[in-house]
Amino acid sequence: MSTLDVSLALLARRLSPSERAWFDAARAEIGAGCSDDRFCQLISQASRFAPRKPLAPTAEELKDAQRALSGWNPERWSTLEALRVALVLSHPGASGDGIVRALREAFKYADVGEACALYKSLAHLPAPERFVWQAGEGARSSMRVVFESACCDTPYPVKCFDDTAWRQAVIKCMFIEAPMWRVWGLDTRLDAELARMALDLVEERRSAGRPISPELWMCLGPHAGPRGLAQIEVELREGPARGRAGAGLALLRAGHRDRLQALLPLENDPLVRQVFADALAGQASSRAWAALDPTCLPVSGAR
Amino acid sequence: MRFFDPHIHMISRTTDDYEAMARAGVRAVVEPAFWIGQPRTTVGSFVDYFSQILGWERFRAAQFGIAHYCAIGLNSKEANNEALAKEVLEILPRFAFKEGVVAIGEIGYDEISPAEERAYIWQLEFAVKHDMVVMVHSPHRDKKRGIQRSLAVAKELGLPMGKLVIDHNNEETVRDVLDAGAWAAFTIYPHTKMGSERMCELVKRYGPKQILVDSSADWGVSDPLSVPRTAKLMLERGIPLEHVEQTTWGNALAAYSQSGQIDVEALLATPVIDQRALFSDNSVLRGQAPRVDEPVPN
Repeated sequence: MSTLDVSLALLARRLSPSERAWFDAARAEIGAGCSDDRFCQLISQASRFAPRKPLAPTAEELKDAQRALSGWNPERWSTLEALRVALVLSHPGASGDGIVRALREAFKYADVGEACALYKSLAHLPAPERFVWQAGEGARSSMRVVFESACCDTPYPVKCFDDTAWRQAVIKCMFIEAPMWRVWGLDTRLDAELARMALDLVEERRSAGRPISPELWMCLGPHAGPRGLAQIEVELREGPARGRAGAGLALLRAGHRDRLQALLPLENDPLVRQVFADALAGQASSRAWAALDPTCLPVSGAR
Repeated sequence: MRFFDPHIHMISRTTDDYEAMARAGVRAVVEPAFWIGQPRTTVGSFVDYFSQILGWERFRAAQFGIAHYCAIGLNSKEANNEALAKEVLEILPRFAFKEGVVAIGEIGYDEISPAEERAYIWQLEFAVKHDMVVMVHSPHRDKKRGIQRSLAVAKELGLPMGKLVIDHNNEETVRDVLDAGAWAAFTIYPHTKMGSERMCELVKRYGPKQILVDSSADWGVSDPLSVPRTAKLMLERGIPLEHVEQTTWGNALAAYSQSGQIDVEALLATPVIDQRALFSDNSVLRGQAPRVDEPVPN
């Protein structure tokens, strides 16, 4: 199944007959090759016809999404976003210049809700690297919802961002308080430079007497080095519970399993103990940080 | 109490203003498109301005628990640059149907010139065709005539009077607006348009029906707390609570919720501010502790 098929199936189970009628007509109009102006209008007007409510996909639907496009996690999408993405994917010029022109126009006039849906659509299009500048604009946004649409729960950054954009997006999660563990494929693009940036930030925060996000330790991976290990040990000794949990995960990811094993019986906090135990049992990927995310939904099938 | 300020230009205001407004009970605002104090030279400036009042400004407001709606339109002053006006009207439909756009506005007359009238008529026809509310700015010079003409042209083009808000009224104009069946809004400005005391007298004389109180606060000397301040004075002057509520909350909600763009149920619920959920601390918060779960006092 293509991602459009999955989107259509998701929508079919959720739209009311009147919403469905509007969507079918809009989709047919776009499919028949309407003007860019009309395309923008239909993307925009969707909000007047489709509800902004959580899509709330089932575990089975999340698996379908993941099968159709590895890294696509519509767990936090709205029905309206799914509908707008389906409209974008119905553009007849999706593999040619047509969609490039139409999306340039749509982004230019997009309100926040539209921008979120448009960024969410990019990974689904043929040759998604064509839109890398635009996706970078999303990553530069100071509106968290827009940033997350470009960078989280989508394979777009890991696939298409160059090294600078990729590292900036990852580190920016800290600043904009976006969940870094939702940056798909993070573990596949760890490098010494990202580890250095994270450690510089750790030191900056320590100097300022500010707390360190437990997710920063995610950036070290196998590139922690002596500097990273020293900072991890400081966090394990002095950090708050979530910080210790993040540092423990980093310890294991840096290859120091024995040290984590030794720390487990000394840890009193139940959450931290659980994270350590799960890590030792094999759950130490970037997704393991979900357990430390106070805002996250129960983690479902889209790992 | 809770307040709805149906005319305020928040892009010109600081976060201190937002905090003060939230503390005073302002829960919702309408930001109408206007000029920016000086004339724009290209249509791109309008595109970015419309995007800003629909986007970033709404996010800024939400951070303080304030629902932010807007009106999209070509203002009367800049309608006089006819070449530019033509381009602006061409892109206007791109913005008029966005989420949270509650009206076409603020439009109308400034000098009462033919170019202004052409833009006004174009936008009225657009509003009629798409069943939208219209917010009309009334001129400073020749106000009474300007308002009479605004009403007459709107009526002639078939705009239902219940969908017309005429703003910046005073004692001399209110009768015409109320008699026409339109909403009469009053801007409480220090020293110029209307003061709180005069507003009290107007509500006493005409009652609360069809009357809206707003601040029109912008980049000039103006007060974003005009609405709550006026409400306080109205209560002190013995105006019944329900009349105060009607003129500082209910009527604005009734007029602009006709757009279908206000989730009335959500607005009536006590807002909960979660700045972490909406914003980055390097943009608006700049390192302060975010306010979380702090309801706006009623």
